[in-house]
Amino acid sequence: MTTSTPEPLLALTNVNTFYGQAQVHFDLSITVGSGHIVCLLGGNASGKSTTMKIILGLVKPRAGEVTFDGASLIGLTTPQIVRRGIASVPEARRLFADMSVRENILMGAFVRNDREAIAQDLDKMLTLFPKLGQRLSQRAGSLSGGEQQMVAMARALMSRPRLIVMDEPTMGLSPLYVDRVLELIRTINQEGVSVFMVEQNASLALEIAHEAYVLQTGKIVLSGSARTLKDDPRVRDAYLGGSEAA
Amino acid sequence: MSSWLDYTINGLIVGNVYALVAVGLALIFGVSRLINFAQGSIYLVGAYIGWVAVVQLHTPLPLTIIFVAVVAALVGLIIERFGLRPLQNSVRIAPLLATIGISFVLDQLVMLTFSPNPRALPSQLPDVRFQVGGGTIGPLDLLIAGVGISSALLLFVFLRYSKLGWAVRAASQDRDAAMQMGVDVNRVNQAVFGIAAALGGVSGLLVGMYYNQIDTAMSLQATLKGVVAEVVGGAGNVPGAVVGSLLLGLVESYGVAVFGTSYRNLFAFLLLVVVLVLRPNGLFASARQAPPEPLTGTFIAPSRPVRIPRWVLLVAVAAFAVLPLLPVSFYVLQTLINAWLLGMLALSLTLVAGTIGQVSLGHAALLAIGAYTSALLSLTLSVPVGLAIIVGGLMSAALGTILISPSFRLRGHYVSIATLAIGEIVSLVILNWESVTRGPIGISGIPPLSLFGYDLISPTSVYWFSFAVMVVLALLQARLLSSHLGRSFRAIRDDDIAARAYGISLNRYKSLAFIFGGFAAGVSGGIAAHLYSYINHETFNTQQSILALTVVILGGLGNVVGAIVGAVALVGLPEVFRIAAEYRILIYGIVLLLLVRFRPQGLLGTI
Repeated sequence: MTTSTPEPLLALTNVNTFYGQAQVHFDLSITVGSGHIVCLLGGNASGKSTTMKIILGLVKPRAGEVTFDGASLIGLTTPQIVRRGIASVPEARRLFADMSVRENILMGAFVRNDREAIAQDLDKMLTLFPKLGQRLSQRAGSLSGGEQQMVAMARALMSRPRLIVMDEPTMGLSPLYVDRVLELIRTINQEGVSVFMVEQNASLALEIAHEAYVLQTGKIVLSGSARTLKDDPRVRDAYLGGSEAA
Repeated sequence: MSSWLDYTINGLIVGNVYALVAVGLALIFGVSRLINFAQGSIYLVGAYIGWVAVVQLHTPLPLTIIFVAVVAALVGLIIERFGLRPLQNSVRIAPLLATIGISFVLDQLVMLTFSPNPRALPSQLPDVRFQVGGGTIGPLDLLIAGVGISSALLLFVFLRYSKLGWAVRAASQDRDAAMQMGVDVNRVNQAVFGIAAALGGVSGLLVGMYYNQIDTAMSLQATLKGVVAEVVGGAGNVPGAVVGSLLLGLVESYGVAVFGTSYRNLFAFLLLVVVLVLRPNGLFASARQAPPEPLTGTFIAPSRPVRIPRWVLLVAVAAFAVLPLLPVSFYVLQTLINAWLLGMLALSLTLVAGTIGQVSLGHAALLAIGAYTSALLSLTLSVPVGLAIIVGGLMSAALGTILISPSFRLRGHYVSIATLAIGEIVSLVILNWESVTRGPIGISGIPPLSLFGYDLISPTSVYWFSFAVMVVLALLQARLLSSHLGRSFRAIRDDDIAARAYGISLNRYKSLAFIFGGFAAGVSGGIAAHLYSYINHETFNTQQSILALTVVILGGLGNVVGAIVGAVALVGLPEVFRIAAEYRILIYGIVLLLLVRFRPQGLLGTI
């Protein structure tokens, strides 16, 4: 893994978020370097998923700045942000259950209008996710959790994003699929897509990430390269075999 | 008597008309999880636009249809943009109430523009009938069937093959996920409202031609029928809405064949209640399908209620009590009597809709039960009026609770639909059960109010009587709400699953709320009956239910003092400003819209 810091693609600077009276983020600052996999670790109710929502414009921060490729995302709607080149793999996949697998994948290309290139990309997805080939006309809701995760990833890639944000991509998957998903994230990243992922499963996430942040009740308590964090006793205590690890 | 084939053809044709309304409702529900109570008003607008086109502009038929579709679609777009889009981030009850307000405003605007008298809308097709088997079919039947089928086909192609159609489907399955694909949900909403309105408007035009008559009462009927068809087919399910509509058309047509025309609507609403009770997700929903509404979350705007010092309340009560001793006109007393009667109804509704969260749209039925019971007891059995009113209240409490109990397992919008239907059923039973209720003739010569043998005829005595009854009911309700019962009610409103997990029996507490609320409403209806001396099945109609809801929202849902303040304001202000009667409903609709938009917690705040 590299330690040099590339140009920041996504940067959150001093973000403060509130749900009504309750503060969720306290001066949150995160950068995702171009071409990197960055992982946000944290337990329940630490504000991880809200961070995703901030990036996607689903929740507005009360203060702070979010920039993508140097331009501010504050005030943009979610569809506008998606058009800038950010795709998402939401928590629990969130497929369009009653649409077919093919339709789900093509929905990912909703912001594009180049028909032929879209068709080519669909073929590319089927080489990347060969299992989906036989499932194309099936209802997405009828797939297993692992297969749905593949559809969700293919759907995200169809917009040809520069950054994919993923909310707990391994949650609820069988061990076999967890490895497969991590491998795919690496493959996607090697093709030049930056990845920002939120995870509870720290040991797995740190294996593939370049950098990581640890979020606790809305504050970044640790950050650095994945390798150093993996050996950090505080992370180890909290996540990798400490008393709280499940 | 016509042949069965005729009834079948008629059922399918009417079903086609319902389908045009129901498909729009299903599209809107799919995308916004909203039952659009203004759909019938667009249908009404369509019928009157059609009248303008046919009678005044003399447009040929194809042009008439296009004209109606375009104008109706524009109305739909306006509703979406200015009525509903500003409410996107408010509580879930807000858009529902807004569509009710919009429907009031549209209906009244049509009525004020074209007068409430029925008009003839001539069919632009030759009046011939062809023999088919044992029945007959005319060109208009074929036109309606053709419009229905081609609309369904166009819609299918749109949803299946166009980019916007894909966006509509994606948004209806998962709104947030669709946004993350780059779908602009506002555009989807626009599309859906435009399509729904165009279909609804054309439906109104066709119905007007079919019966060769249009009037402003069409609106509510169309909304009701569309909602029935949509819920039968499964809310948000577009093909289901078509099948549900055809089924509804057939059930009604066969019901009419067997029992007569006045039973048409009764069958429609019974079908709805049966489906809601047995298969609340519709006939075609798969068992795995998630409930169409979120299980938790605030349905009602939370707020800090305005605290009113006790002495202010005491002074206010004392002031209103001595008012008749001052030199005020009978007119003022009369107005306030109406306010006290409406106040009792509002107390009932604020308990049911506000405190326990069951937004009832059929509350007028409780008035009707109380009124009929009290009137018939005093008239036919010579029961003293005071006693008869109390028995009327008890009857409303008992019968109302039993009738409403099938809806106890429902949530949110579905409660509103079920109560609306149950309210209509009560009114239809009153209409048809002639041996007891005297049917459409109504009950006349109801004895005046009396207490311990003394007739209360002077406005002053009626004033005191109704004011005293209302104050007693309000005190009882305030006492009730400050006990653990009040807390349990609110727990059910805020999170019924959590409430159940803490051992609160939902059915028991909902029953208690409806028993208490039913009594208050029944007493109000009873007093009204003796005051009016004549009632019929239309005296207590849906408009009163909606008026009561506006009062309750104006005062603050669940707020006892608010209910009374709201009643005085809504009855009194139009009098103060001398607003002509025909503009009042329009004003109520506008008040409702403004409240939902700018002060959803009402004047005194929700409790």
